[in-house]
Amino acid sequence: MIVKSFQWLTLLVALLLGAVLSLHVGGRADVGIADLLAVITHWDSPSLSQSIMVDIRLPRTLIAGLLGINMGLSGLILQAITRNNLASPSILGINQGAALGMTLAIMLPGFFPIADEAMAVLGALFAGILTFSFAGGLRAKVSPLRLILSGVAVGAFSFAMVRFSFTLDDEVSRDVILWTTGDVAGVRWHDTPLLLALSLFGIIASVLLAHRFNLLALGEAASQGVGANPHITLVLGALIAATLTGISVSVAGPIAFVGLVIPHLCRAMIGSNHRQLVPAVALGGAALMLYAEAFSKIVITGEELPLGVIAAIIGAPYFVYQALFSKEMGL
Amino acid sequence: MSALISSSLQQRSVIYLILLSALVLSCIWGLKIGAIAISPQVLANTLFNLDGPQQKYILLTSRAPRIVLALLTGGALAIAGSLIQAVIRNPLASPKVVGINSGAAFATCLMIALFPTMTLTNIPVVATLGGALAATIVLLGAHWRGLSPVRLALVGVAVGMLFDSGVDFYLVANTSPEKAAPMMWLTGSLWSRTWSHVEAVWLPIVLLSGLAFSLSYQLDILRLGDETAIGLGQRPALMRFIALLTATVLASISVGVVGVLGFVGLMAPHMATRLVGGQTRHMLPCAMLVGMLLVVLADCVGRALAPPIEVSAGVLTALFGAPFFIVLMLKSDRETTG
Repeated sequence: MIVKSFQWLTLLVALLLGAVLSLHVGGRADVGIADLLAVITHWDSPSLSQSIMVDIRLPRTLIAGLLGINMGLSGLILQAITRNNLASPSILGINQGAALGMTLAIMLPGFFPIADEAMAVLGALFAGILTFSFAGGLRAKVSPLRLILSGVAVGAFSFAMVRFSFTLDDEVSRDVILWTTGDVAGVRWHDTPLLLALSLFGIIASVLLAHRFNLLALGEAASQGVGANPHITLVLGALIAATLTGISVSVAGPIAFVGLVIPHLCRAMIGSNHRQLVPAVALGGAALMLYAEAFSKIVITGEELPLGVIAAIIGAPYFVYQALFSKEMGL
Repeated sequence: MSALISSSLQQRSVIYLILLSALVLSCIWGLKIGAIAISPQVLANTLFNLDGPQQKYILLTSRAPRIVLALLTGGALAIAGSLIQAVIRNPLASPKVVGINSGAAFATCLMIALFPTMTLTNIPVVATLGGALAATIVLLGAHWRGLSPVRLALVGVAVGMLFDSGVDFYLVANTSPEKAAPMMWLTGSLWSRTWSHVEAVWLPIVLLSGLAFSLSYQLDILRLGDETAIGLGQRPALMRFIALLTATVLASISVGVVGVLGFVGLMAPHMATRLVGGQTRHMLPCAMLVGMLLVVLADCVGRALAPPIEVSAGVLTALFGAPFFIVLMLKSDRETTG
């Protein structure tokens, strides 16, 4: 346990540093972490820089962290239920499906009797189900490669639909690209309660299911043998992953690759016990997104970059590496 | 296996005739349709310079170059896809799956970002460099790891995503209209293409297509297996290299000028194989016609759906092509497992 506690400490320190960095940098260089301390100590007469800290920086940092938790857990769950290390919301087309659901809700207001966020969750679920059924459905064995290629095709189709519906509407292509790359520049406090509740739900649900994920990792027969029906694990896991992804996408757009990278890194640090992986992934996902959020504000172009682009630049090379070298792919 | 059955000369002539007339009809439709609909009468007047009302500007300056470009790029993508599938012997292979499209798009973005003064004529060269880089990564990686066909597709998708993230980076980092203009073509659009674009790409596309046609007999020999090919005096490794290079350049040039028209290079060869059989020398011209038809139709439908708004041709080919890809995958699954 001594060795493990070092890893946990590393994760915590990484998270803390990420939070400080993310709060410290931004469009106005004169606003820094000192303002946060000032806010905490005497909040009676807020100055302009203190309001920037409270109204802009804090919600952005908080939301970036929460998104990291949600996407990381979503990836972890998908990797557990598919037993495929390359599974993640973006690669299985679930991100794009959520974006499509969201787009439909925006394009046809009043047509669907449910909230936009619910549409995003439905889109995520639908895309996930499509991907699974193309890859072989609930048959005993789903080929990992087919799963990914189906996901890519479903994702390509959903994204084409998103672009299609937006070109029909108006010349908002730049906004669409911003949103479809995942952006948190516009978020404020009113976006946080939903995401916070979602992250809590995600963590609790994953902790409760962690044991079933561990059993599933032993194989479906073994899982069945000790009384955990693998199909129930699969369905519950898919529902949770779709909810986490769908609502996150509805707030910030699809953010790719966090769900892929974080579970891998955490597995390398903590091992493959899901009871420990769940909190580790939550910490690690939040930390990575905080760094990405900070970097998105410092990059040199004079213009802030969307969070999703930074995440993709970190994550895509990792995906290439995995595609070339990961061994457990069958075929 | 439909790939081994070749059709008779008579069947082929009928198929070519149907394809050609469909192509001509869709080109005429493409001239007529758009933000301003043009009547057949005016169209005929303008094209043949008859008396009566004409629409010279719209037809000759705006719509004609689009259609010529659609023909050129559709043919180029289809030939590139056919060559790649013939060499890699992978039904799922296509310029997009091998990463060429994304690489070329990335290189073109980079060129516009770093050297905004460069002229249109440089686009083919730059796009080709990017496409070749991506294809080299994918093919070398796959060759060196000895990967299965489906795994190759996975590596290609991953490399494609890598370059796509670079393209996204460029797009969101550039807000000025001049630099953000490529956004439109990146989704695969023929919008605002002019004769100067045609001038920049027609020669290399025509030359390389000619080269591809002259290679088709050699590719059929290659299909018999390396030993037979060597016995017949061929150098298989050199042959594969030339074919892949030709395919890369063809696909990259078309991306450089009209953006990513997803799945055309995947669909056209399969459709052509269904129509005339899998022998490259018969299939290649047919695939070229199918590819042209697909792109011209995608452009027309995009303009016809809700004028004056245009839906990018690339969006339409992706909507049509992604399900096609899934069907192909499910079929190849059945062939390998059962």
